[in-house]
Amino acid sequence: MADEFAISLENISKTYRLWGRGSQFATLKSALLKRDLKLTPEQSVPALKDVSFSVDRGEAFGVIGRNGSGKSTLLKLVSGILKPSSGKIAVNGRIAALIELGAGFHPEITGRENVYINGIMLGLTRRDIDERFDRIVEFAGIGEFLDQPVKTYSSGMYVRLGFAVAVHVDPDILLIDEVLSVGDEEFSARCIAKIQEMKFRGVTLMFVTHQLDQVRTLCDRAVWLDHGMVEAIGDPMRVVDSYLQEVSGAPVTAPVEEAPEKKDASEEERWGSGEVLLKHVALTDHHGRELVAIGAGTPVTIDIDVEVRAPQEDFVFGLGIYHADGSCVYGTNTDVEGYAPQLLDANARIRFVVSSLDLVAGTYRIDAAVHTRNGRAFDYRRGVLRFVVGSRVHDVGVYRPKHEWRFDGGVAFRSIDTLRQNVPSQIAEAMKEVEKPKRRK
Amino acid sequence: MSSPNLMPRTSYLIPLFRHRQLIAALTARDLKARYRGSILGYFWSLANPLLLLAVYTIVFTKFFPVQVVQPYPLFLFSGILPWTFFAAAVLESTNSISANAALIKKVMFPAEALPIVVVLSHLVHFALAVPILLAAIGAFTALGKFTPTLAILFAPVLMLLQTLFVAGVALTVSSASVLFRDLRDIIANVMQLGFFVTPIIYLLDRVESRVHRALLRINPMTPFVVAYQDVFFFGRLPSTSDMVLIVAYTIASLIVGFFVFDRLRDTLAEAI
Repeated sequence: MADEFAISLENISKTYRLWGRGSQFATLKSALLKRDLKLTPEQSVPALKDVSFSVDRGEAFGVIGRNGSGKSTLLKLVSGILKPSSGKIAVNGRIAALIELGAGFHPEITGRENVYINGIMLGLTRRDIDERFDRIVEFAGIGEFLDQPVKTYSSGMYVRLGFAVAVHVDPDILLIDEVLSVGDEEFSARCIAKIQEMKFRGVTLMFVTHQLDQVRTLCDRAVWLDHGMVEAIGDPMRVVDSYLQEVSGAPVTAPVEEAPEKKDASEEERWGSGEVLLKHVALTDHHGRELVAIGAGTPVTIDIDVEVRAPQEDFVFGLGIYHADGSCVYGTNTDVEGYAPQLLDANARIRFVVSSLDLVAGTYRIDAAVHTRNGRAFDYRRGVLRFVVGSRVHDVGVYRPKHEWRFDGGVAFRSIDTLRQNVPSQIAEAMKEVEKPKRRK
Repeated sequence: MSSPNLMPRTSYLIPLFRHRQLIAALTARDLKARYRGSILGYFWSLANPLLLLAVYTIVFTKFFPVQVVQPYPLFLFSGILPWTFFAAAVLESTNSISANAALIKKVMFPAEALPIVVVLSHLVHFALAVPILLAAIGAFTALGKFTPTLAILFAPVLMLLQTLFVAGVALTVSSASVLFRDLRDIIANVMQLGFFVTPIIYLLDRVESRVHRALLRINPMTPFVVAYQDVFFFGRLPSTSDMVLIVAYTIASLIVGFFVFDRLRDTLAEAI
């Protein structure tokens, strides 16, 4: 469909004027007389140069880059606050921009009144706000301060109220600029949860951040801007990684060689600087046999063969298990679990031992990585393994806690219907799913 | 929905209409915020014209008894109120956009709402002062010194036209002063002068030189003030020539206001 995109930018450039002494009046004159402002190069600073990309509906799109690379300019152009110097921007849907939380709050009037005015500024009607008011107040958690003038608020309360109003606008597109880094831990977590909820509801998200972890965990795609130009765009892991490589000043190394044992080249994505390689990753049972299909609740081990091309003192091994729908089931690494790296100077084998894989039936994917502690990848293998979990029980979800049913009182069952539990056919069915190459969104 | 930069440039009034709730809410906020924490509250918006009225009445009835019309305080009052509305709204609107830089730079905010809000909140002050003028008229009538007429009923028409006129001026100066900061000081001084080149403390007809009278008529506020004096003080409808001038100035002011604002709109977020 032609209108599948939420945001589309075509050859967008933005040039800022330098406001020198006396140039303001010249600007006023030329704006009035000629309408368009022709600028000489010494009077102008280019902020964005010929940027083109589009963001699909429902996509979470991250924007990263150094300070001054044009990220905020990009967001302001999309929101319509600024106008591009050249190029075309098209937007499908109602936009809410979180560029500064609580911008427009008036310090002298109460939180309650500010909620209304802020909501109207963001495009709601009074009636819309009446409907949302309780939810907004609950989310902000400002309690009895609601009827106090905003000038008495702490900066945290101020920001919370601003965020609460903005996310309850129910936009189709939410633009977020660095606002998730404000507030305390608890509130940040709530913001992230709210944003994930909005993403789940199909809201298109575009956010600028320096918190690369957020890009990795929240975004479907990311763009890296450098000096106003698109340096990289695509998979957030990959974009973040190339950004980190560049920022850390590491020499640009040749791309990782294609691993010969890789079975389905169409599905695995792999990148990294290559000083350490994950030669082979396998899912094995307790006999060391490689598995592609396993029964729920069985013990498994993930074996990783590591090839060291250059000794490292800063290294982290990480694993992620993803559901076929892309959601992360579990992710961990040696760093978060407290293993402080000392030395990695020879080939090694890493084993991740799971005593019981308590997953619900379905198809899963494993990402394996070795990277530095700040996240710069030596070797990142996305989707290096795919496996199916078969189950005798048709339960739903992803995680099956160890459990049993107990019944007391007047409840009776005839028997457990073991005939319905047809393991082999279910695994076979799931196997077919693995063979079928997953279409990338 | 298309992005705002694709909106046809001719639709000046549509955004103002679409944002009427916002403009109403901001005007209410302005009024509330202004007097929150002050003991006399709204009465302060009346204090300014009342004090001015008291000073001029004392000066021109006791110190220099040059009164040309009786009762002089009523004459003064009917001219000072519309003048104060005009002068205060225009002066404050020069700062309206710069003072709300955060909104223009950080929120998708219709900048034209800001000067309009300033004009409307000053209109409210004006409207709140009118009952005091009416009370004064009642008092002088009770004393047998004055006879009001139904011409007063024409005042709302004048107020509407003046509001539109002031809005046009406010749109012009609010946007232009973002790029040309000196405008604020220029306007503050022009307003001081303007008070004396508008027939507020004296009667236009009593100005002896015809040249001077013609010059005073160039001042767009002259026909407005004279018309208010007609309906409130002289008890007659404004002259046709004054009404023609009023309508012409109002239309011209709106055209210039929308033209200037529209041309400068896109540079505002950057220039603040």
